[in-house]
Amino acid sequence: MPTAYFGHHQVNYELVGEPGKPVITFLNGLTQNANLWKAYADHFVPRGYRVLAYDMLGQGRSSKPIIDIPLATHADMLDDLLTQLKIDKTHLASISFGGIIALDFAIRYGKRLHSLVAMSTFAELTPQLELLGAVMVQGLTDVGLPYLQSMLYPMNMSSAWIAANRERIPAMKRAGYIGNDGYAMQNLMESFATFKPLTPDLHKIKVPTLIMNGEFDFFTPRECHEVIRRHIANSRLVIIPRAYHAFTLEMPAVTMRQIEVFLDQVSKGRWQGDQSVWIASDDPAATEQWQPCAGDWMRAVQVADKTPSAMPARKRPSRPAAAPPPPAEAAAVPNPRKPTTRRKKP
Amino acid sequence: MIDPALFDQARDRIAVAGFTPEIQSKIALVLCATKNGNLAFHNAMQWLPNLGVVQQFTISQAARELEAVTLLSRTTQWASNPALALDANRIVAPIVVAWTQIMMPPGPMFDPQSVYRGISLGHAQLARIRLNAVIPDDADPLDPFVVALRRIEQENGRMLQTQIRLLKNVGGDIPLDDREQFVERDQQLVDGVMNDFLAWLAAP
Repeated sequence: MPTAYFGHHQVNYELVGEPGKPVITFLNGLTQNANLWKAYADHFVPRGYRVLAYDMLGQGRSSKPIIDIPLATHADMLDDLLTQLKIDKTHLASISFGGIIALDFAIRYGKRLHSLVAMSTFAELTPQLELLGAVMVQGLTDVGLPYLQSMLYPMNMSSAWIAANRERIPAMKRAGYIGNDGYAMQNLMESFATFKPLTPDLHKIKVPTLIMNGEFDFFTPRECHEVIRRHIANSRLVIIPRAYHAFTLEMPAVTMRQIEVFLDQVSKGRWQGDQSVWIASDDPAATEQWQPCAGDWMRAVQVADKTPSAMPARKRPSRPAAAPPPPAEAAAVPNPRKPTTRRKKP
Repeated sequence: MIDPALFDQARDRIAVAGFTPEIQSKIALVLCATKNGNLAFHNAMQWLPNLGVVQQFTISQAARELEAVTLLSRTTQWASNPALALDANRIVAPIVVAWTQIMMPPGPMFDPQSVYRGISLGHAQLARIRLNAVIPDDADPLDPFVVALRRIEQENGRMLQTQIRLLKNVGGDIPLDDREQFVERDQQLVDGVMNDFLAWLAAP
């Protein structure tokens, strides 16, 4: 991997694709590295993009400072890296920890962006997230990196993925153990001690913004993405069905397809940032990739409206009135709740 | 940087040969040499004036390094081949030289830069010399040498916390940029030794 310098820090990056083509820059999650975007480069380069991925300070093969790297430095470093690589503007796609950096970059360096994709991320620490973060730091410092790795697999991946990859997990953990340094991750996490919520500045993000959230992501749940959706006017929220936090790794084909649809809309001027909410197709080959979200996207269960006019006409039950309806019947009642935002098909 | 493939090669070699006395001796010689450097440094540093609570940290670091060296020395099945010691000395020489420079007069007692450099090199050792990844998956978890390696690595993680706190809080007179450069240079030094060490472990 080539190396750039940010001050005396080394930054390892990979830039592939033909010069002159639009650039997509990918930002890693906390324990990730630039190599994990290789499949994305393989997907997008033949489709006419250049792909830039790099290890942030503290990750992979970039320098791993111990003493002091404020969170804002990462966005400054991206700005510097783009300048060094003579990239004027880029699409920016990011996940989790990288998502915060991307939001910060979009707020302060928005002129360098064509568009923004924010996945499994947050703009402020909810109380739940704050405590989860504290537990992660405690696990890392009191027990060690292997503990944190063991903790993150079930937090990030589905049971189906874990069952299918159970035999490979020890090797993956070992590779992660070699590639990551506990102290560097600790330094990244401790930079949150002075983290100021980005929410008050989110309105400054004017570029088309696709927000993606896994349906079952309990690490950064819907409320985190809802804050971003509400504050960025030119945004849409797409929920990835049956996905957990690290869906870029678990469902790469689905994720790449959503990003591709978004970039296509942006480049062809068909993008409508109306803060609407959609459900992604779990079939990358499907013609219609986004379906409108019917119901309350903040809920995990859909509650039926009990007003008489909203109930479908039914025959009076012949059974005693006190008897509860069978479960199948209850589940068959359509959800009449309407989303607060009207949406058009993409 | 440490080449990740070297971990795999060393582990593959150990998986085939097992933890032979030769392999155990190689590991013990290199680990003990590095840990003795950090042990000597913390032994000296504890006498610095006005250390306050930091003195307790340094005494604890020295005690834990001594415990690791003792544990490893007693669980290792030593090979009788004297050439191993010569090879180990050659591999670990850059770190031994660095510790010698740090301890040389005026040394930690009188030179703040030596104090910071010692903390930085100790940190690099604890952070980068990691041998959990060379233990084969099917190694006997109750093998005393395997138990010792895992125990030492877990303890290294805890000791690292003290080193991190010291790096962040000691040496305020030294500019931040210089401190970061010490840290980065020592990591590269230890990475170089670790690459040679892993290649030696992987060699037949």
